[in-house]
Amino acid sequence: MSFSGNGKRASRACDGRLSWMSVWLIYAREMRDQFRDRRTLFTIVVLPMLLYPLVGTLLLQIVQFTQQHTTRVCVIGTEHLEGVPPLVGNDCFDESVVGEDKQLAVVTYPWREVMTDRTVYERAEDWVRSGTYDAAVMIPKDFLDSKDSSRDSSIQIVYNVASDPSMVARDRVSKILGLWRDQWIRDRLSDSGIDIRTLQPFHLANVDIAPERTREAALWSKLLPFIMLIWAMTGAFYPAIDLVAGEKERGTLETLLCSPALRSEIVAGKLFAVTTFSMLTAILNAVSMLVTSSFVFQHIGVGSGVGAAIGAPPVGPMLWLFVALVPLSTLFSALALAVAAMAKSSKEGQYYLMPLMMVTLPLVLLPMLPGTTLSVGTSVIPVTGMFLLVRALVEGQYAFALWHFPMVAGVTAVCLWLAARWAQKQFENESVLFGGNEQWELRGWMRHLWRDRVEVASPAQAMVCGVIILVGLFFGKLAVQTMPTDFAGIVRLVMTPQIGFILAPTLVMAVMLTTSVRQSLRLRMPHWTTIPLAVLVGITLHPSYVLLATWIRELYPVSEQTLASMKPFTDQISQAPWLSVVMLMAVVPAICEELTFRGFIFGGLERFGGGLRAIIVTALLFGISHGVLQQSISAALMGLLLGWVALKTQSVLPCILIHVTNNALSVSMERVMQSGWRGADVFIRSTSQGPEYQPLWIVVSMAVTVTLLIYFATLGEQKKRSESLAIQPCAA
Amino acid sequence: MIHVQYLTKTYEDLNRGRLVAVDQVSFTVRNGEIFGLLGPNGAGKTTVLRILSTVLQPTSGIANVAGFDVVDQAAEVRRSIGFVSNNTAIYDRMTAAEMVEYFGRLHGMGRAETSHRIDELFAQLRMNDFRNVPGAKMSTGMKQKVSIARALVHDPPVLVFDEATLGLDVMVARNLLSIVRDLRDRGKCLIFSTHIMSEVERLCDRIAIMHQGRILDSGSLGELRERHKQDDFEELFFGLLSQHESMNSMDSGVAI
Repeated sequence: MSFSGNGKRASRACDGRLSWMSVWLIYAREMRDQFRDRRTLFTIVVLPMLLYPLVGTLLLQIVQFTQQHTTRVCVIGTEHLEGVPPLVGNDCFDESVVGEDKQLAVVTYPWREVMTDRTVYERAEDWVRSGTYDAAVMIPKDFLDSKDSSRDSSIQIVYNVASDPSMVARDRVSKILGLWRDQWIRDRLSDSGIDIRTLQPFHLANVDIAPERTREAALWSKLLPFIMLIWAMTGAFYPAIDLVAGEKERGTLETLLCSPALRSEIVAGKLFAVTTFSMLTAILNAVSMLVTSSFVFQHIGVGSGVGAAIGAPPVGPMLWLFVALVPLSTLFSALALAVAAMAKSSKEGQYYLMPLMMVTLPLVLLPMLPGTTLSVGTSVIPVTGMFLLVRALVEGQYAFALWHFPMVAGVTAVCLWLAARWAQKQFENESVLFGGNEQWELRGWMRHLWRDRVEVASPAQAMVCGVIILVGLFFGKLAVQTMPTDFAGIVRLVMTPQIGFILAPTLVMAVMLTTSVRQSLRLRMPHWTTIPLAVLVGITLHPSYVLLATWIRELYPVSEQTLASMKPFTDQISQAPWLSVVMLMAVVPAICEELTFRGFIFGGLERFGGGLRAIIVTALLFGISHGVLQQSISAALMGLLLGWVALKTQSVLPCILIHVTNNALSVSMERVMQSGWRGADVFIRSTSQGPEYQPLWIVVSMAVTVTLLIYFATLGEQKKRSESLAIQPCAA
Repeated sequence: MIHVQYLTKTYEDLNRGRLVAVDQVSFTVRNGEIFGLLGPNGAGKTTVLRILSTVLQPTSGIANVAGFDVVDQAAEVRRSIGFVSNNTAIYDRMTAAEMVEYFGRLHGMGRAETSHRIDELFAQLRMNDFRNVPGAKMSTGMKQKVSIARALVHDPPVLVFDEATLGLDVMVARNLLSIVRDLRDRGKCLIFSTHIMSEVERLCDRIAIMHQGRILDSGSLGELRERHKQDDFEELFFGLLSQHESMNSMDSGVAI
């Protein structure tokens, strides 16, 4: 069962001042409860303490095993080495060619001795294949000063690529043979009176200017935050499931709900408890890993062998990680809490949290990619920005980190607020808290979908519609192999996704799942003034939009490759007749996208007091549907504004008009400039980059836009007031 | 004092569509009175009581508990109500004393006040021998006593018992009924919902018979007997139910 129709009342009921005493009581109880749970304690405290030392022990064992293995090599044809510089001595290579490396075990054979009914080569292959020797060096009779590179006249190393010891042996032997040859060349040159220095006109040396701390921190500053974040996530999941879904299952949640504690206090108390566990898990894992790894690395001595890349982790700088851990743990905890609230049992909760982890993981993985550094662009990406900030701190770039700190902190704070708000909403939702006890059955559900239709879609149906569109667009994009070169092809390229993947699913869902296509698409007549004003907003908004798009291109530059692939497209568009371009690039996308995003999906998400949710989610979906990153960002930001207009005017029509006008201006700017109309100079000036808005007009247009948007907002208020006036007499 | 007027609650049900769980229910319960809510399973008793405890929001209608509105003054309502239901379980990893103390403190009581009240309640309900037993190791009877102590810890003027005797053995159930009677004698306002008729007959001052979300009739036992000219309460109850069902089927027959 799902309760409905009380969204607004629910939030009113939970008003009231949050008492920190109650939050503390709930927090303390949850903490004590978790500490009394053996399973939680094991996964969060005991496991990490044991896990890393155990892995370390295994690692040490494996290292010892590989170190104990001596490389065995056989040299066949020693009798052919007469009169040349020494290569092999007694059971080993000659000291002059081995260098500082450890010796190899060498067995020497004269050529004839090896030959039986099989050839020497066949026997050598057998030996290497069976592992008797890791590699075999074949020295045929005519190897000296041979002109060709046939088998009988060159030294060969027989090895087996499928065997690691054999590959190691090959590398070492070829190095030795190389040294031997170098030595030999030097001897010959000095014999013929040539200065050896002519061979080596200069010396080459690599100088690493990174301070020792950065060098040591390089790997750890990438690896450790990643591991900590993964553990912070895992550490949040299990307590979140237990604290919400588990309590629902055990029936204790209702006990708490009828206590005087406010919903906000319950959410805060539980959120802090989950956050504490998330942080504890991350810290214990990090400490255990740091201690174990510094010990293990010291013991193996890898640090000296491979260079300072994997030194023991520097402990001091790693303390900066805790700066990031507090907000990120809280963020993960709030998300986990909100998702866990949807589940009716612990088992169900585990199914829900896996997708959440999959969605968050790219944000954690992105900073691990080579070349990702802290910049204005990356600092606005949630989680990633915080991650990169910490890396800068660990590496000691304090000024650089401080510069980006406000942005990262702002983005993180917004995400935190949204996540906490979502969790709070879940705790105020009756159908989430008490619904869904009956058996789910496909036929019954299909019947329910048809029978219980209302005028607009449900929030779930709206989300499904959005996801279907994104998936459709993804596969549609894959299907496009080459950029068409004629205008008809371009038309197909634009129309197919707009009509086939965006509008069609929406219309089908609107017809099937709602009782009124018109209402579900929000095709309502708004206040009459909004119609002309929407066109005006479209015009005055465009300069800001262009400015925004330029900024975004500077922050996240478009790759040369993308530009090149777009070239035929832009060429065709600039040559086609103006009216068809406006139809294709402005009218069709505006109608299809607005009916879908600000119509069907917005209408569904807005139900049950979800105005903010509708604006944010539709803006995100609208952004992602644009495919190209730079376009997605500006589209998402425009989506926020369009969503706000949709909310205030309660209609999709103003959004369509703003969208049409905006797109039409985008495709017309160049033509207006070329037309030679003098009046255009007031608004547009021509630059080497193409036409650009006059700075004065940009400022004026922004002011006009803001004024118009404020006017739209008052329309919403007026409507609300007149509605409440209409209701009151009935209630009395 | 509980005052309920035209209370309605609807929700979406996967199998039955839009379901009216509580349909225009009105009743009043005075202080020093036990009000019995009698009805078969699924009659809507629990939904009414959940609305009174502010866990659910009514779709329409008014509900007042101790002078506070359940929608606008939910927190005040929760402060003046004690709610015992078989849906309100106790924590497995908390002892009886900890559990009661936790809720006392959530009600804003001080540490000393709570512990004094716990001593008093535990003696009264004879709970001292399992004072430090965690919830997971308690018997059903013990759990029920902890729930009652939890609901009484802040000495609320209004108490709601929702199917509180369900699953209890005869001894414990009898004990519970005497506790309820005792609370009435101390001037509390009580609602007692059940589907067991004998409990209602023995305990309640006034009774409302609920079926399919509606109150079919209400009044004292004597009034009901007189009105329906039926001395046997069980017969009276089933008579009302079948009368309602036949009227319902007639209604739908006319509609077709």
